[in-house]
Amino acid sequence: MSRIQHTVRISILMALSLGPVAAQTATSRIVSAANSFLSTLDDKQRQSVLFAYDDEAQRKRWSNLPISIVPRAGLSMKELSPAQQTAAMALVSSALSPRGFEKVQQIMDGDEMLKSNAGNGPQNGRGGGGPPPGKGPDGPPPGGRGGRGGNRGPGGGGLMFGKDLYYLSILGTPSEKSPWLLQFGGHHLALNITIIGERDILTPTLTGAQPALYTLNGKTVRPLGPESDKAIALLNALDENQKKQAILSFRLADLVLGPGQDGKTIQPEGLKASSMNEKQRAMLLDVIAEWSGIVNESAAAARMAQLKAEINETWFAWSGPVTVAPGSNIAAYYRVQGPHLVIEYAPQQMGGDPSLHVHTMYRDPTNDYGRAPNAK
Amino acid sequence: MRLTPLAAAILLFAGMPAHAHRLDEYLQGTLLSIEKNRVDAQMTLVPGVAVFAMLIADIDTDGNGAISESEARLYAGQVLRDLSLSIDGRRLMPHLVSVQVPGIEEMREGRGEIRIEFAADLPAGGATRKLTLENHHQSRIAAYQVNCLVPRDPDMRVNAQNRNYSQSLYELEFTQAGARADSWSLSWFSASPEPLGLVALLLVARFVFVWRRRARPLKLRDGNAPFKMV
Repeated sequence: MSRIQHTVRISILMALSLGPVAAQTATSRIVSAANSFLSTLDDKQRQSVLFAYDDEAQRKRWSNLPISIVPRAGLSMKELSPAQQTAAMALVSSALSPRGFEKVQQIMDGDEMLKSNAGNGPQNGRGGGGPPPGKGPDGPPPGGRGGRGGNRGPGGGGLMFGKDLYYLSILGTPSEKSPWLLQFGGHHLALNITIIGERDILTPTLTGAQPALYTLNGKTVRPLGPESDKAIALLNALDENQKKQAILSFRLADLVLGPGQDGKTIQPEGLKASSMNEKQRAMLLDVIAEWSGIVNESAAAARMAQLKAEINETWFAWSGPVTVAPGSNIAAYYRVQGPHLVIEYAPQQMGGDPSLHVHTMYRDPTNDYGRAPNAK
Repeated sequence: MRLTPLAAAILLFAGMPAHAHRLDEYLQGTLLSIEKNRVDAQMTLVPGVAVFAMLIADIDTDGNGAISESEARLYAGQVLRDLSLSIDGRRLMPHLVSVQVPGIEEMREGRGEIRIEFAADLPAGGATRKLTLENHHQSRIAAYQVNCLVPRDPDMRVNAQNRNYSQSLYELEFTQAGARADSWSLSWFSASPEPLGLVALLLVARFVFVWRRRARPLKLRDGNAPFKMV
């Protein structure tokens, strides 16, 4: 199914199933889409996709790694019929902004590209029908690694890449009042959207891309291109003194607060935005918006208002090359950190061009999974 | 041309079409947490696929394909011996709190994380302090990362973090309220405050003793006139 056909189907489904959209809030749209998706499933599938809201093992079962390396639980796209897939993607779409959903699709398309280029053999897989991930205390250890006990199979076998290897799961019951969590992810993607009334909290969320630059249907795609372009534009807008503060003198090989590092706040470093001018602060907010704007518009607006109010307490740090070829991604690490924000952009040195393999992390260490005391 | 084991391993794995995992480095991330009298550290070590073979003999020492608890502790001890931790230039002796080592297969596939937690007591010191961590573990293949968590104690404040390019050397400068503002301290004497009080008492006693001894000849020089305090 082409991207256009798929998008049209999702749009039609949403228009038909969600009723008078104009009268609905973002949360009611997401809840409607969730119930529409659940109504397409049989009992066994529902059992697979639904988890208790307090299932900590499932909550933390996400990673940048492929599902054959870190098994996920829930329902994969591969396990769904075309109609169910459409309903699943309509649910994901309902929780995101158009650009956020496009980014998710581009990450998945990139993984499909990786599958075509790299093959899908058991390169690092555990062989077909490997042990399922745990669903309780025997789940993944801190670090987001998949457990090996429990009774739900990931269904990934030894497969590494491909857009059908993305999983959807729901913790709790879709509700406009009570909290619940929508998870969608696989290789280079982990969306954790906690929905608490009208608040939709996107943290922690991981995005990544490999290849981070590819051609699809004659069009060049960079799933995380704006994250790269906006950051280097900000760096170039700094004066020499500001650059001295922003550019760290040491190498950063990977994410500091990647999977398994929930709720941790590291000491900020780099250049504080209070030392930037208005234009530079606006550029920094524009960088931040690449992550805060993944979620639907109303949630993104609330989050952006919070981050804008704290911009003077927000830091920007950079490590690595300070130049980039036109149309390419940066090969540098950068971090944006504020009182309620950590963003990391980390190119990966894994035997190839690091600008083509990127991991990013988006967190609110005070409110990952909506855990702030005032979040409920 | 002779290839080093590392170069050979990288060439071997470079032929693979795509890598979703760490390849030729041994990532060693450390998060430090400081309190007034203690530093805690969480190390996460991720061996790359291409360098795993160079490490496994140090971990699975009996080569039986499984890592026992004692082997895990031995390896953690080896990692700790390759670290140097000091405060204000004084060497600290970190002790192992816990170690978790994944299965060999997980590490071979580049997805295994070794987790080591260690801690060290901090002797009392001045208001401004410098903690230094040097990591030399597997330095030829290491990718070090060291960071400090924001202290939970509002009296503690991080002033600066300094590192060399590879982060094998890390210095943390911090301030703790309630400690002496200057660097002069009797902390070398003991980490506990009680003996300081004892030293102060002894100094006062000594002063009184000297003062009384100096006062006595005066009284004698006055002849028979009794010394009288008014």
